Amino acid sequence: MDLSLPNPSWSKDMRLLFDQFMKKSEDGSWKHLPSYKNKFSRRIEDIKVFFPDAKLIKEKISQAQLFPRNFEEGLGFEYAMFHNHAEDRTVCIFQGGPYLQGAPGFLHGGAIATMIDSTLGMTALIAGGIVMTANLNINFKRPIPLCSVVVINSQVDKVEGRKLFLSCNIRSVDEQTLYSEATSLFVKLDPEKSLT
Amino acid sequence: MIRRTFQVAMSLGSHRVLPGAPCVLPRLNPTSAFGSSTDSLVSRFCPEKMDMKDYALPNASWCPDMLNLYQEFLEKTKTDGWIKLPSFKSNRDHIQGLKLPFGLAVASDKNDWRICTRCIQEEGQGYEYVIFFHPSEKKSICLFQPGPYLEGAPGFAHGGSLAAMMDEVFSKTAYLAGEGLFTLSLNIRFKNLIPVGSLAVLNVDVEKIEDQKLYISCIAQSRDQQRVYAKCSGVFLQLQLEEESSQ
Repeated sequence: MDLSLPNPSWSKDMRLLFDQFMKKSEDGSWKHLPSYKNKFSRRIEDIKVFFPDAKLIKEKISQAQLFPRNFEEGLGFEYAMFHNHAEDRTVCIFQGGPYLQGAPGFLHGGAIATMIDSTLGMTALIAGGIVMTANLNINFKRPIPLCSVVVINSQVDKVEGRKLFLSCNIRSVDEQTLYSEATSLFVKLDPEKSLT
Repeated sequence: MIRRTFQVAMSLGSHRVLPGAPCVLPRLNPTSAFGSSTDSLVSRFCPEKMDMKDYALPNASWCPDMLNLYQEFLEKTKTDGWIKLPSFKSNRDHIQGLKLPFGLAVASDKNDWRICTRCIQEEGQGYEYVIFFHPSEKKSICLFQPGPYLEGAPGFAHGGSLAAMMDEVFSKTAYLAGEGLFTLSLNIRFKNLIPVGSLAVLNVDVEKIEDQKLYISCIAQSRDQQRVYAKCSGVFLQLQLEEESSQ
């Protein structure tokens, strides 16, 4: 089941943004990225290369539950991502629910970091294949109110061999407020080396 | 409103000057260091009597490594000045009687709000953790066991879940060590993946407190320290909580 589609917990702002991006996708310049709880079922062959214990992996893959998708509707991470292939960038619309509290009334820094990692990760994945987060550098400018909707704009800055440098910013729906900025380094995994 | 008040707080942090307008910041005294001492913060944070459930206690999902290390540190709370921090479902429970300053406090707070690292309540499925804090040395140790709901790559914890755990330990340590309240920045270097269900030990140190900012660092590694999972440094903004006015 594709979890990056509107559900009853989505606020009006979230739905509006989603519709706007779906409209942009009509001419093919943008593409809506589906998102499943069990995302690795589609890339078992790729994963086997990096996780040598193949038997264990099949089991684990069938039970795999992607962290940001393990919440009841509306309580945790509600998000949808759209990718622009020509410009090599991804936009994520994100609504952080009541179970992601930091300071009372605001989103936890770690929840923000998770969405930044997920969005940058997706951009890096599309640009470079199977990657792993190496560095994440986040500046928090303004606290994000709990249950509000934000837009994460991410892009690839440069590619050097197996290193991908990406950056993103988090803004309010009307783009007037800059909540956070981040830069990151992702590394393409080397099929010769195991991860464990 | 929120944007403006936060900006006020930020500019005060850097210039240490009270605004000319009618005083709306009763506690910000540039001449003294932040009011509450670590000891008074700790005693308020760790009340003798707690009606709320403390989630930072062993349960059946804790792996043997976690249980052993927990016992070790429990012993140290008797002899070496360590304190086990309680962990409640919501941060509001942690600051009873207090509220965010400068109008940042949200008036209506629904009861079902949960702190990010206690979002998954089924034993062993999400964040299993306990934090021990050392008041005089301003450092913390967090025993963290990520459950299957925190997965990223199959069988391993999602990088974001580790980032959230580190930010949370930073947050509690920064608060008790010097009223650090909001994360200003996080710099995380991921080295190795943490297998789901295994123990990661997070060692956190407050490096310095300067210009109303608290600098803090963390190393997350395996119990035997043979495997480093990640290193992280963070900066927190010092802000005093206000007493909640009686209603």
